[in-house]
Amino acid sequence: MSTAYALTVPASGGVHVPAHERVVLPSGVTLLIVPSRDVPLIAFQAIVRGGPLGDSVRGRQARVPSGTASLVAGLLEKGAGERDAFAFADAVEGVGGNFSVSAGAEAISISGQYLARDQHLMIELLADALIRPRFDVPELEKLRDRRIELIKATKDSDPAELIGVYGRAQLFGDHPFGRPAGGSESSLASIGQQDVLDYYEAHVGADRLLLVVAGDVDVPALKRDVTRAFGDWRHAGVSLARTPDAPRVSGRRVLLVDSPDSAQTYFWLANVGVSKRYPQHAALDLVNTLYGGRFTSILNTELRIKSGLSYSARAGFARGTAAGEFAIRSFTDTENTGRALDLSLATLTRLKRDGVTQDMLDSARAYVLGQYPLGFETASDWAAALAELEFYDLGSAYIDDYGAMLRAVTLEDARHVIDTAFPSPEDLAVVLVGDASRIRDVARQYGPVTEMSITQPAFVP
Amino acid sequence: MTATSALTTAGFTPGRESIRSVTLANGMKIIVWPVRNIPNVALYNWVRAGSRNEAPGITGLAHFFEHMMFNGTARRGSGDFDRLMEAQGGSNNAFTSDDITVYQDWFPRDALELIFDLESDRIANLAFNPEVIESERGVVASERRLSVDDNNHGHLAEQVQAAAFVAHPYQFPTIGWPADIQSWKMQDLQKFFRTYYAPNNQTFVFAGDVSPDEVFALARKYLEPIPRQAAPQPVRAVEPEQEGERRVVVKRNAQTPLLQYAYKAPAAADPRAPALSLLISILVDGDASRLYRELVERQKIVVDLGGHWHEGFDPALFWLYFTLPEGSDPESVQSIIDSQLAHVASQGVTAEELRRSKCMAAVAFWKKLSTIDGKAQLLGEYEIFHGDWSKLFTAAADYERVTAEEVQAIAREVLNVNRRTVGILLPDPEAEGEPADDELELNEA
Repeated sequence: MSTAYALTVPASGGVHVPAHERVVLPSGVTLLIVPSRDVPLIAFQAIVRGGPLGDSVRGRQARVPSGTASLVAGLLEKGAGERDAFAFADAVEGVGGNFSVSAGAEAISISGQYLARDQHLMIELLADALIRPRFDVPELEKLRDRRIELIKATKDSDPAELIGVYGRAQLFGDHPFGRPAGGSESSLASIGQQDVLDYYEAHVGADRLLLVVAGDVDVPALKRDVTRAFGDWRHAGVSLARTPDAPRVSGRRVLLVDSPDSAQTYFWLANVGVSKRYPQHAALDLVNTLYGGRFTSILNTELRIKSGLSYSARAGFARGTAAGEFAIRSFTDTENTGRALDLSLATLTRLKRDGVTQDMLDSARAYVLGQYPLGFETASDWAAALAELEFYDLGSAYIDDYGAMLRAVTLEDARHVIDTAFPSPEDLAVVLVGDASRIRDVARQYGPVTEMSITQPAFVP
Repeated sequence: MTATSALTTAGFTPGRESIRSVTLANGMKIIVWPVRNIPNVALYNWVRAGSRNEAPGITGLAHFFEHMMFNGTARRGSGDFDRLMEAQGGSNNAFTSDDITVYQDWFPRDALELIFDLESDRIANLAFNPEVIESERGVVASERRLSVDDNNHGHLAEQVQAAAFVAHPYQFPTIGWPADIQSWKMQDLQKFFRTYYAPNNQTFVFAGDVSPDEVFALARKYLEPIPRQAAPQPVRAVEPEQEGERRVVVKRNAQTPLLQYAYKAPAAADPRAPALSLLISILVDGDASRLYRELVERQKIVVDLGGHWHEGFDPALFWLYFTLPEGSDPESVQSIIDSQLAHVASQGVTAEELRRSKCMAAVAFWKKLSTIDGKAQLLGEYEIFHGDWSKLFTAAADYERVTAEEVQAIAREVLNVNRRTVGILLPDPEAEGEPADDELELNEA
């Protein structure tokens, strides 16, 4: 680490979890309150554990179709309590608020931001959405049909956006992380009201809810409102399943997604990585920063800075309660597809063989320490951060001690991370989205190829 | 649209009294907003150069400069700028528009002097290495393929913008036409740099854990010695009045048709700016907005929509864009949208719609002000496009004062079919393999 930097940065890396309250209601809802007074806003982050992981539903032989959790999430605001879908949107936006829902790999998340004066309304809307959603058939059909068209539109205009969905389906197969969280055109088309009701009954309930409210909060009023709204809510119908670990893939295989006339090839190279609870996560952050996490990373240096092959090349780890993927993502002119893939693989070979140097490690350490506080500026940032700590049961030390952990990382730690978390370039699931007629032969050089059209209504052939 | 605000509570913003600015002897202006919530600083350097300052044959040059400014100086090699900044905990980015180029750094406060050293070095001593220029050409070509060639929205918008202007350089795509990206020369770069990267054509805005005095002292040490240059020639082009709708039809590989409207609209500094911003919000901002509710929710003829006003130095465009479901006919969707827009112009907006848009603007304003990045950006936008950063703090009241009549008046003026360009992207199963110039039809109705 550079001496000047080490002398001036506070021991924690500048970030401490602020004073907050944690309350578990008798119903099982976990509530965290993080007051701050800089601007007259409040933010919430609600997490319902489960998500696509909860695709299996009690009393059913088969799983509900992929995308069910995501449709349930989307429908929470399409009519709830006394309000139909229009009245709900009017109530949210009439005070300048927002209500954003999404379904990730292991949870449904809802977040929002309101003027502090609208705290009571914010909790009322959230409680209605979670406890009293209507799931009306016309709203379901409208949202479902619209989601199908949006996938097609994304395929038309942003194929890189979906490459990870194709990739995870190939890498994880039947594992929950392999299922497209937002569904595919064909899986969405098969979802009916009963699927939605079954999922909701089984996987949404007080014992699954984690709620963080941050910002210019009226704390006594908030506790009163949340207790009144959620204090006697029922539990989810089934207990939460643990996400199993997925096996790493051996050897290479290639999925070629044909997008005729595509000017570039978009590529994704991945294997199963590590989980959120990987003990050497500070070392992992430093090594990945060096390999594919910042502008001057090894990967971006080769593909962008030195060769001019691509506008961007990045790598990173998705870490859940179980190991998600480590993936390299980039793109290049169709005719340079092979060159860019070779360079990407060569960087991974070099990392595995040569590791990193002390100078590199020091630079990454200063970078991660220097950028870290920028992620903890606002009430929304803290709502999200506290929710993450609680969701993964990490404890405040995960943030408070992060700076000290970064400082303690040695070259041996970096070597250990490279050996255990980064895949061999020989063992990768590869996805190429591009003009198959021009890259089919190139693709074969990287493993056995499976081909599909981008217009196929699914993310697997 | 500028995410600024409305709401009486925005009348006072904590910390605004601590903002100070100074103009150096060479004409460069420095603005500082000290904020102590985290030990970091955001810097925005606003350069008054964009694709508006280009000409046929060198389109994309302003954006190319955004890339070249990271690629070495007489003192430092290519890549050193990023390497040194990252090794001291800083990160950076940049963006280019039709009007401006902005360089952003986010760094721990202890890196402040290094940042001055790096920023002043590239302004004073930028190098033009032929090998690096060629490599960076490839990067920009890849960026263009990503955002235009492989993106139907981007591709159609480029064609619409090119058709909307006949005289004004706002017709040029900021990323540059492909042939121009491949052909600009060393002397084009040198000339552009000399002309537009003069210190008197730049404004530095800092927000974060610094004091104005320390920033001004470093600015005098590092930036003030860079000599002032003749001011760039003003852009003299004035777009003639458009007297009838223009239509652009693009046929290409796609599943979903697209529809875009680009209306002629006023410049950023126009006093009706708050009314126009609120109009956009009423039309397309959120699930309760008028067009979303009518077209997506009620009639289900549109699957996604959006809009923005290009707030530039000169009168530019007010955009509305729609993604249509597979198999739909853009012509029939267009007639329904047009009747909705005509209704806004003839009947105005409701009190409830106006109140909602003001509340949404207020939340957006506070949200932006809750980060050092947002503070640096907003101060800079008001300084550059409205002539004075302090106008940021009267904007809230300006929004609050907007009446429904003012919104209707601007709707009537802007939503004029004779002053718009309509873009339609049609899925064409035959598009594969056709020569590119057959894909475009252009006519003025």
